[in-house]
Amino acid sequence: MIALRARNVWVIWLSLALALLLSVATLPKFMEVGRPLWLALILTYWVLALPHRVGMTTAWCVGLLADVLNGTLLGQNAVILTLVTFLVLSLHQRLRMFPMWQQSMVLLVVFGLAQLVQLWLNALTGSRPPTLAFVLPALVSALLWPWVCVILRGVHKRLSVN
Amino acid sequence: MRLLVFTVLSAALMVVDARFTVLQPLRSQLGLIVEPVYWLGRLPVTLWDSATQELSSRSDLAAENEKLKAESLMLQRRLQKLAALTEQNVRLRELLNSSALVDDDVLATELIGIDPNPFTHRILIDKGSKDGVLLGQPVLDARGLMGQVVEVMPYTSRVLLLTDTTHSIPVQVNRNGLRAIASGTGNPERLELRHVADTADVKEGDLLLSSGLGQRFPAGYPVAVVTEVIHDSGQPFAIVRAMPTANLNRSRYMLLVFTDPRTPEQRASDSAEAQEAADRQAREQSMSTPSLAPAVPAAASDAPVASPTPAAEPRQ
Repeated sequence: MIALRARNVWVIWLSLALALLLSVATLPKFMEVGRPLWLALILTYWVLALPHRVGMTTAWCVGLLADVLNGTLLGQNAVILTLVTFLVLSLHQRLRMFPMWQQSMVLLVVFGLAQLVQLWLNALTGSRPPTLAFVLPALVSALLWPWVCVILRGVHKRLSVN
Repeated sequence: MRLLVFTVLSAALMVVDARFTVLQPLRSQLGLIVEPVYWLGRLPVTLWDSATQELSSRSDLAAENEKLKAESLMLQRRLQKLAALTEQNVRLRELLNSSALVDDDVLATELIGIDPNPFTHRILIDKGSKDGVLLGQPVLDARGLMGQVVEVMPYTSRVLLLTDTTHSIPVQVNRNGLRAIASGTGNPERLELRHVADTADVKEGDLLLSSGLGQRFPAGYPVAVVTEVIHDSGQPFAIVRAMPTANLNRSRYMLLVFTDPRTPEQRASDSAEAQEAADRQAREQSMSTPSLAPAVPAAASDAPVASPTPAAEPRQ
């Protein structure tokens, strides 16, 4: 398979770096509660598009970096991103066939699960959000998915990343 | 299979990170990436700020300059008074034979980031272990205590604010010295006093100062002002709410306080030694020159901080 030769892999890393940046960028106070899960979104796209290139190892490493950036326990974001990647990987054959809105629905559930795990882990360390607001980021991310997907697909095709 | 491996690995990492300090060096080294990322993340804000500054008119700048001058004059006047008061305080403390009140050493620092999780109140500042920042160090702004350092990286550190739900600080009511513990509520404009008896003398408008009893924060810095006291007969304790005096979500420049690192026992023995030395010197002096009016109290107030001089050094 010639198609499996790595080409323009830096684009993947650049997009993940951008996601890390966006996940800590300053936001107005009222928008902070609904901050999209940028890392999970962009990781999901690459897992769906290039499952042989981006997998759980990548997700785990990026998650560790996110932990350092956010000052959470080392491994907290890592385990969540690994979980998201695992779910997307096991669904990816089907997800690729779905129309965009259906993909969004499935991803809403996946991101919701991720946020639930996040809530549990936060509760263990004592900083527990008092409300149901923790599902908001999952919802926002699911709504953003079509746009992220279209943009990344454009980049993907233009630079023929593999 | 790989999911299992990574999950176990992460769980192990989390436990180790939470319970032991083995990972601290690794964390602080990885922390090197934090500053550039937050700097990039803040770039739009910084650019906007500098653009507005560049474009602000000359008259605006002149007006601001005028205002700052007036403010500086006011502060200078207050400072003059303060010098006299400090001297008086030092003299009185000498009489009481307690340790001298000394200015703490401070280091100015700037806010570079806010924790992206909206449910925790933590900020990132631009000083780290390379600048001598220590774990647990108190952070102030111009109006009062803000919080303490919880994570030190080479060039940055993370500060837990007073209002985080996991934070509490021992305080004292300025009016009558009543002690209490002020806990964060997760609301940036509210602290709550825990376990205050219904009959306790706390009123609206009371200023709460840090009491220094937890040996983490220096004593005597303003923490909050009581805004509400609710006596509910259904509750075992009075509900006392207070508003932090520091601008927790507005301050951009902060001060890191270096307090005396010695334990109270060390401090006591040091001051005892200093007292003995002073006594000996006084005896020698009185033998050589019997009539001597002492009063040289300035030493403590303008001594270069950081090494608080224990009580009753030379004078007398």
